[in-house]
Formats: sequence, C-alpha cells, structure tokens
Amino acid sequence: MPDQELELTLLETLDHLLDRGVVIAGEATISIGNVDLLYLGLNIVLANMDAMKRTGRK
Amino acid sequence: MKSIVIGIHLQHEDVQAVAEAMPVGDLFASVFEVADDRPLGDRDLLVEVAAIRARLLDAATFIAVRYGFAVHDANELAAKCATMTDRWRAQLVAHRDEVEMTLKAAAATPPARPNRRDFASGAAYLRALHDATNAVNIDGAFRQGLERTLIPLATQHRWLRDSSSVELAMLVRRRDLESLRTAGESLRYAHPKMPFLLSGPWPLEVFADDHQQ
Repeated sequence: MPDQELELTLLETLDHLLDRGVVIAGEATISIGNVDLLYLGLNIVLANMDAMKRTGRK
Repeated sequence: MKSIVIGIHLQHEDVQAVAEAMPVGDLFASVFEVADDRPLGDRDLLVEVAAIRARLLDAATFIAVRYGFAVHDANELAAKCATMTDRWRAQLVAHRDEVEMTLKAAAATPPARPNRRDFASGAAYLRALHDATNAVNIDGAFRQGLERTLIPLATQHRWLRDSSSVELAMLVRRRDLESLRTAGESLRYAHPKMPFLLSGPWPLEVFADDHQQ
C-alpha cells in the first residue's frame, strides 16, 4: 500500500475511533441545525479537534 | 487499572479470542485494560485500540463505543449501561451479518455560513444555519452515480452533512462488501475529478448511535 494511502487509512481509522459509536455515561446534546444549544456531560469523552469544533464542546 | 470499553457484543465468543470480555446484562463488552495513570490520549494506546477494534470486527459485528469511556469493574459498566442493553441486543441481532461502510466527498459548493449579526433574533439565525447545513450537497451526477451503484447494495443508508462535506453511511451485508468495493472503483473511473474516500468495513457506529439519528 502506498505511504499516502496508508496514512489516509490510519487517519480514517482514528477518526472513526474518536468520532463514531455510541456514547455511554450520560451525554446529551440538544441541537438545531449545526448548533448545539445544550450539552450535558456526565463523563469525559475524548474527541478529536474536528469533532469538538463541529459540536462546540469545551 | 482501568478498562477501556471498545464495543458491545452479542456473544462471548465474539470477543474472547481478541480482547477481554466483560459482561453487561446478557451481552458482553470488549475491554482493554490499562494502568490508571495512563492518559487516554496516548498515541500508542489509540493505535493499539484501533487495531483491536479491527480484529474484533473480523470476528463478528458489534456496536462501537466511542473512544474515551473507561470503567473500573463490571458493576460500574452494568450500572451505566442498564438502560441501553435491550436496545443494543435488538440492534446486534438485527444486524448480525452487516457492517458499515462510509463514503466521504467534498461538498460541491459549500453555502456560506450565516452571520449572527445579520439576524435580529436567535431563532431566525438558527433556522438559517439549519437551512445552510441542509443545503450542503455533492455534485449531482456523482450523487446519481451513488444512488445507482452503491445504495442498492446497502440494506440501509443515511446522508450525513457538515459545513463542507457530505458522507454516505451504509449498512451492508458482509457478502456484498466485495461488490460494493467494485462499485466504488467503477465510480472512481466514471468520476475521475471527484475526490472521495470509500472506507470500511466499520462496526455499527452511525446506525447504533442515537445522537446521529
């Protein structure tokens, strides 16, 4: 596999690991459009920067 | 020690050859044990967990848990998941033979993001933001190609959008994966100037995530 393709595969894999799947331990986000109005988190969830920017989490 | 929860599985055998299995109701969680003081953001740890995730999917379809959730014992896990196990069981049974595939493509002409100062009320601004996000789309001919070649191979599909890209998430039978990849290659030949990334197989992520729905 060429280096560029390998890098892309790794990035995509990490993106899915950090940004996809069910969230356990009480996280609720109420949104309209792309704006999250209310975020209720009862546990720390690690997210990649893109996901954080997109959902406005701090 | 703490256990990073990787996924939720229907059967113990789905986990045991690859990772440690922790019971959660009548289901099983795949977990990876690490020292309490090891940061979850450790790069090597992330890569290690990603590799385990891929091997678990080779064994059987499971529900992916977003990275970052860790517990200290089975009681803590059971307490935090008690309200979800019925729904998870139904999803795991229904999609036992399916996996997710995703196709990401850049938006054709990303609409401008509305400026808050242009709107008198917050509600009007939010409606405009919603409309702008919904207006994000991909090239029409490429979309038709997707609808003709890839989507018929999926048992379910869902369009996801952000401000600059569109993603097609598909639930696909394992036996149809090769046909889907072949269809993806034919799309690449038919639309050589359209950059896209077809990736997978992935565990149940979008189709098991209430937040996405």
